[in-house]
Amino acid sequence: MTTGLVTLKINGREVTVREGTLILDAAKEAGFDIPTFCYQANLSGLGSCRMCLVEIEGQRKLQPSCITPVMPDMNVFTETDTVKMTRSAMLEFLLSNHPLDCPVCDKGGECELQDLVYKHGPRKGRFAEDKVRHHDKDYILSPVIVKNANRCVQCMRCVRVCKEVVGRGVLGAVGRGVHQEETSFLRTRLDCDHCGMCIEVCPVGSFMRLPYRYRARPWDLVSARSVCGYCATGCRLTLERRGDTVVRAIANPEDGFNRKLLCARGRFGYDVMNSEERIKTPLVKERDGSFRPVSWDRALELMKEAILRAGPERAAGVASATLTNEELYLFQKFMRKVVGTANMDSTSRWSAESSLKFMEAAGIRGGGTSVYQCAESDVVVVLGGQLSEENPVTDYILRYINGARRNTLVIASPRGMKLDSSAQLSVRTVPATTGAFIAALLKALVEKKEVSMEGMEAVKGLTVEELSGVCGVNADDIRWIAARLLTAGSVGVLAGTDMLRYDDGAEELALLVRLLENTVRDVRVLPLLDRANQRGAWDMGVHPYLEPGYRPAQRRGHDVHGIVELADSGGLGFLYLLGEDVLGLYPDRAGVERALSRVGFLVVQDSFMTGSAPMANLVLPMAMYGEKHGTMTNQEGRVQRMEAVRRPEGEVRTPLETIGRAGNLIEKDFPVVRPGDVWKEIQKQVPGYGEVRGMEAFKGASADQVAELKPSFSYAVPERAEGEFWLLTGNHLFHGARLSQHSGILRELLGGCVVEIGSTAAQRLGVGEGDMVEVEARGYRERLPVRIREGTPDGVAFMPENFDGKDANRFFDKDRVVSTVRIRPYKKQGE
Amino acid sequence: MEKVLLKNLGREGAHTVDSYLSGGGYEALRKALGMEPEDIIQMVKDSGLRGRGGAGFPTGLKWSFIPKDAPEKYLCCNADEGEPGTFKDRGIMEYDPHLLLEGMAIASYAIGAHKAYIYIRGEFLFAARRLQEAILEAYEKGFLGENILGTGFSLDIYVHRGFGAYICGEETALLESIEGYRGQPRKKPPFPALSGLYGKPTVINNVETLACLPAIVNRGAEWFASIGPEKSPGPKIFGVSGHVERPGLYELPMGTPLREIVYEHAGGIREGRRLKAVIPGGVSAPLLTESELHTPMDFDSLAKIGSMLGSGGVIVMDETTCMVKTAYIIMRFFSHESCGKCTPCREGTTWLKKIVERIEHGRGVPGDVELLESLCDNIFGRTFCPLGDGAVMALRGVLKNFREEFQYHIEHKRCMV
Ligand SMILES: Cc1cc2nc3c(=O)[nH]c(=O)nc-3n(C[C@H](O)[C@H](O)[C@H](O)COP(=O)(O)O)c2cc1C
Ligand code: SF4
Ligand code: SF4
Ligand code: SF4
Ligand code: SF4
Ligand code: FES
Repeated sequence: MTTGLVTLKINGREVTVREGTLILDAAKEAGFDIPTFCYQANLSGLGSCRMCLVEIEGQRKLQPSCITPVMPDMNVFTETDTVKMTRSAMLEFLLSNHPLDCPVCDKGGECELQDLVYKHGPRKGRFAEDKVRHHDKDYILSPVIVKNANRCVQCMRCVRVCKEVVGRGVLGAVGRGVHQEETSFLRTRLDCDHCGMCIEVCPVGSFMRLPYRYRARPWDLVSARSVCGYCATGCRLTLERRGDTVVRAIANPEDGFNRKLLCARGRFGYDVMNSEERIKTPLVKERDGSFRPVSWDRALELMKEAILRAGPERAAGVASATLTNEELYLFQKFMRKVVGTANMDSTSRWSAESSLKFMEAAGIRGGGTSVYQCAESDVVVVLGGQLSEENPVTDYILRYINGARRNTLVIASPRGMKLDSSAQLSVRTVPATTGAFIAALLKALVEKKEVSMEGMEAVKGLTVEELSGVCGVNADDIRWIAARLLTAGSVGVLAGTDMLRYDDGAEELALLVRLLENTVRDVRVLPLLDRANQRGAWDMGVHPYLEPGYRPAQRRGHDVHGIVELADSGGLGFLYLLGEDVLGLYPDRAGVERALSRVGFLVVQDSFMTGSAPMANLVLPMAMYGEKHGTMTNQEGRVQRMEAVRRPEGEVRTPLETIGRAGNLIEKDFPVVRPGDVWKEIQKQVPGYGEVRGMEAFKGASADQVAELKPSFSYAVPERAEGEFWLLTGNHLFHGARLSQHSGILRELLGGCVVEIGSTAAQRLGVGEGDMVEVEARGYRERLPVRIREGTPDGVAFMPENFDGKDANRFFDKDRVVSTVRIRPYKKQGE
Repeated sequence: MEKVLLKNLGREGAHTVDSYLSGGGYEALRKALGMEPEDIIQMVKDSGLRGRGGAGFPTGLKWSFIPKDAPEKYLCCNADEGEPGTFKDRGIMEYDPHLLLEGMAIASYAIGAHKAYIYIRGEFLFAARRLQEAILEAYEKGFLGENILGTGFSLDIYVHRGFGAYICGEETALLESIEGYRGQPRKKPPFPALSGLYGKPTVINNVETLACLPAIVNRGAEWFASIGPEKSPGPKIFGVSGHVERPGLYELPMGTPLREIVYEHAGGIREGRRLKAVIPGGVSAPLLTESELHTPMDFDSLAKIGSMLGSGGVIVMDETTCMVKTAYIIMRFFSHESCGKCTPCREGTTWLKKIVERIEHGRGVPGDVELLESLCDNIFGRTFCPLGDGAVMALRGVLKNFREEFQYHIEHKRCMV
C-alpha cells in the first residue's frame, strides 16, 4: 500500500493527503463538498453520474473527482462557474425523465436527488417531452423490497453493494440507454440475503422498504441511536418510531463502525418491539397450571420468598448474553450479593471450562480488536462456525475489504458459506476437529521453519497426514495455508463459536497465535460470537468462575450444566432465567425439561412466552432493546451506547428495575438504580471500562490469565454411523437466538425450522430444495423442509436453533461430542 | 496505386487459403516469426501506421505499452464496425479473411499474445462464417495453433460475435462484452495495455489496422511511410455511401482530397444534382460542405477544420436532403445506442432526439434551436466515453451549417427542400 504524501491545491487552498486519495476526499479535507450520486465509499469506483466533475488545470475536460486520484502539484477547482453549471446540467438531465412524484414517494424528505437539486439544481425545468416510464405500478421484489424504476438515477449503487459487499450479486441492469433498469433477473422475486442494503444505498425512492411503505415521513419520526441485538457483530443502528410504533431501523453512515451496513435481522427485526405476542404483565402460575396476572409488588414478593426459602446453595440464575452491560453487571451482583450464590451463567450452550479457554485463546480479556484491522491483515483465517450466517455484517466487511485489497482469505469450517467465494482457499473440517486442524497447521509450520518454543516439542511427534485424517482437510491444503502464514506480514484469525460449543481448539489456537507472534509478529484474533453482548456478559462477570473484570471468583459456582444437573437432582429451590430460554437452547431437550420441572420456584423474565416460560412459577415481562438505555460490548470489544426510542408499554419493566427492586426488597442497602449509576460502578469495578467514553469506544485490557492452555494433542473423529449426519446448530441468516421468531417481517423471510444439507447429500437422498424430509434421533422425529447449501459435505446437517416448537435441541445428546441424526426423504414439494 | 487491402475485393474464391497462398500469403508471417518482437514493434512505429478504428492512435506506440514480462496477454481485433456509413472492415473480412488473420498473427507475436479474439458485429454473420472457415484452414496449414511454422510460437484465434450494440465497438465495452458482461465502457485508467481482457495486458486494434501489417512486414516501413502525408501515412479504405453514382469501397492513399473521392472515384453526385453536405468519417464526424471539399482525407487535416477522419465512412448528401431529417436520423441512432451508463449521454441524447423529432414532425417551437445548442454544451466534454461527444459533434455540425433549415421547419412546419 502507498504511504507517501501528496500536496496539491484545491481552489487555491493547499492540502496534503495520502498518495492515492481521491480528489473528492481531498476536497472534503480542504473544506469543499462535492456533490455525488454514483460514488459510495467501499464500492468500486464507477464515475458514471458525472455529478462530481471538477476542473483541473492543464486538463482539457472536466474530470470525475470520485475516481481520479490526486497527483502532486495538481491545481483543482471545484467551485468555478463551469463546474457549477455542470452540476446544474447533470441534475437537469436526471430530472428530465424523473417522475417527480415526491408527494407519494417514501424517500421524500431524505432523498439525495431532492437535496442536490435544492442545492445545485436548475431553478426552472426545460424538459417538455414525454418521459420514459419503465412501468406503471411499483413492483415487489422480496418481502422487504418494493421497486420503482422510474425514479432511478442509474447510480448502480444497488448493483455494486449487492455484489461487492453482500456477495449475492442478484441485481443487475437490463435494457440500454434510457431503458436501463436495475432490478432482479426478469423482475422476478429475489432469493437473497434480504439485507436491504440495496435500499439503504439507493439515493432515491427506487429501492424501497416494503414494510415501511407509506408509513411515515422522515419529519414524523422520533429516532434514537441503538445497537442491534441479534449478533455480536454489534452493528449500530438508529431506531425510528412514529407514535408508539417502531417503523424503521436504519444504519447511520456517519455514526457507528458499520456505517451503512446492516443485515436482514438488524434492518428488519425491529418489529419484535411492536409484537402483540409480548408478555405485558407479571403472571403467576395457579394450581391448575394456568397463569394469572399479578401486580409487580406481589410478583417481587413471591420472588423474594422463593429466594429466601431456597437459600444460597440451592439458588441459581442464567442471564441472556443479549442484555446490556448494566443489566448483566447488576444481575451478577444481585446473584452474588443478595442471593449469595455463584451459580450463574450467560449461556445455555457451553460449559464454563470451555468459555475460560476460549477467552484466553481469543484474547477476550484483552483490549479490543477492530474487525477492520483483522480483515486487512495479509492473511485472514476464519476458523469454525458459519460466519456468513452467524455474523452477516462481519461477512460483508470481510468481503469488500478482500475485494479491494486482494489479501489472502482462508476459511476452515464444517459447513459451506457465502464467504467461500471470496476465499483463496476454503476447506471443510469435520465438526469439532478445529483442534486437530490447527495442530496440523502447527506441524506444517514447523516442517517449514525451525521454531524452538515452549509447547512445540509435542508437535514434532505428530504428522500432518494423521491429523489431516482426523479433521478431513487435505494435507496439501494444510501445507499451503502454513506457507501463506509464514510469508505474511500480518495475520488475522477469526474464531467462531464452534470452539465454544465443542470445547475444541482453544489450546491449539493459543499456541498458533504465540508461534505466529514469533514469526509474523502482527497477529490479531477476533472472536466471532453469536449473542450480541456475550463479550460484555463475560466482562461483567456473569460466570460461575469469574467476577467482573475476569477476577477469579472467591468461591466457584455451577455453570449451566451444573445448574441443570442440580435441578435434576431436586437440589434447586430457585432459578431465575433472565431473557434466556434454557429449554429451547440447552443441548439436551429431554434432560433440561425434566430438570426445570423439578426446580422449586422458577422465575422467567422475558419479552415473549419462550419455551421455558410455561414451566415457570412466575413470569415477568421484560423490556427489550429500543426500550432501554445502556451499553453493549460487541465481539471486537467495542463498547457502544444505546438509547431508548420509546418507553416500555404498560407493566413491562427493564431488568435493571426488576433486579433493583427485588434486591432492595431483600436487602435494604441494595439500591434501586438507573443505567447511569450502574455504568459508573462498572467503570470503577471492571478493568478496561474506566477509560470508555462517548457513544463508542474500545474497552481496555483486563489483567490476569483466566486459563492455562496445554493442548493434549490427542484427537478423534466424532462418532457417526454410516449414512448418518452430524447435526450442527446455530443462528440462521434471518434469525437470531429465540427472539427473531417473533418478528413478523423476519418470519416472512423464514417462518419455521428447516434442515440444511449439502448438494451431494441431497442427491444421495434424492431430495431437492423445499422437499420434506424426516429427521430422526433419540426416538424423536421431525418433518422439515430441506434447504441445500453448496459446499457443505455429505454427512453434515444443520438446523437453526431459532424456533419454538421444532427445537433442534431435541436431537442433541449432551454426552456425545457431536450428535448425529438420520435423515430420510418424506415428501416432494407440492405433493 | 496498387491495392494492398482490397486487392481481392469482389474476386470469386479469393477467401480460401490456397488463393491467399498463391498471392504470397503468410510470407510476411514467416518473415515476422524470424524477427525479434521488438524489431517488429519498431518497424510498425517507423511505418507511421495509425489506428484505423477512428482515433488514429499510433499502432506501434500502443503495442509498446504492453509490459514485456506479463505472463498472459491478449490481442483483440475490433470488427464491430458499428458506425453508420462504415463498411470497410466487412470488405476485408468477407473477401480476404486470411489477410486479417496474418495481420493478427504478426501483431500477437510482436506483443507476445497467445490468444486473440475477433469481436465481430453480430449482423456480420456471413463474415463471421468466412472468418471461422479461414481460421480452420489456417490451423490446418499450421499458421495458427501450436508451434506455428515450427518456430515455437503458438496462437489461438476466437471469433466472438457481438449482439448489436454500437457501444461494443468502444474498446473497453468490447472487453466487457467478451467477458460476458453488459457492453458498457470501463473507466480509464487503467488502460487496456496494462489491464484489459480479464485484467491482462491487451491490445485492441481495428481490422483495417491489422490488415496493413503483412504489407508493412513484406515491403518495409519506409514503403508504407512513403504513401500519403508524413504524419498519417499508408493506404486507406474509404467507404462511400449516399447520393453518389458509384457508392462503394475505395482504397486510396491517405490524404486523398475529399473532392477526388466523391467526384472521381465515386462518380460524383447522382443524377447530376448538387452536393449539399458530406460526412467524412462516420456519423460522429461533423459534416462538411462544398467549400471544404478540397480537404485532404487524413487524421490531421480533418481535425484542423473541426471534423475528423474517424472510420473513413464518407456519407454524401445532395441538395434534396432535409438536414433536419438528417439530424433526426443521427440523433435517433445515438440515443438508441447510448449505453445508459452516464447521465449526460443517456438523458441528453434522448432529449436531443425528442426535440429534433418534434421539429422534424412539425411540432417545433421557437427557442428549440437555442435549447438544442445549450444541451449540446451541457453534454459535450462531460460524458464517460466519446459516444456522447460524438452525438454532439454530429448535431453541432448540422446546426452550424444549416441552422436556417431548423428555423424554417419550426416556423413553417415543413421541410425547406
Ligand atoms: C462509441 C465508439 C464506437 C467505436 N466503434 C468502433 C468500431 O466499430 N470499430 C473500431 O475498430 N473501433 C471503434 N471504436 C474505436 C475503438 O474504441 C478503438 O479506439 C479502436 O478499436 C482501436 O483500434 P485502432 O487503434 O486500430 O484504431 C469506437 C469508439 C467509440 C467511442
Ligand atoms: S436485499 Fe441485499 S441481497 Fe437482496 S438484492 Fe438487496 S442488496 Fe442484494
Ligand atoms: S435503483 Fe437506486 S441505487 Fe440502484 S441504480 Fe437506481 S438510483 Fe441507484
Ligand atoms: S444481526 Fe449482527 S450482523 Fe446483522 S445487523 Fe445485527 S449485529 Fe449486525
Ligand atoms: S457517453 Fe456515457 S452513456 Fe453514452 S455510451 Fe458512453 S458511457 Fe454510455
Ligand atoms: S460521483 Fe463521480 S461520477 Fe458519479
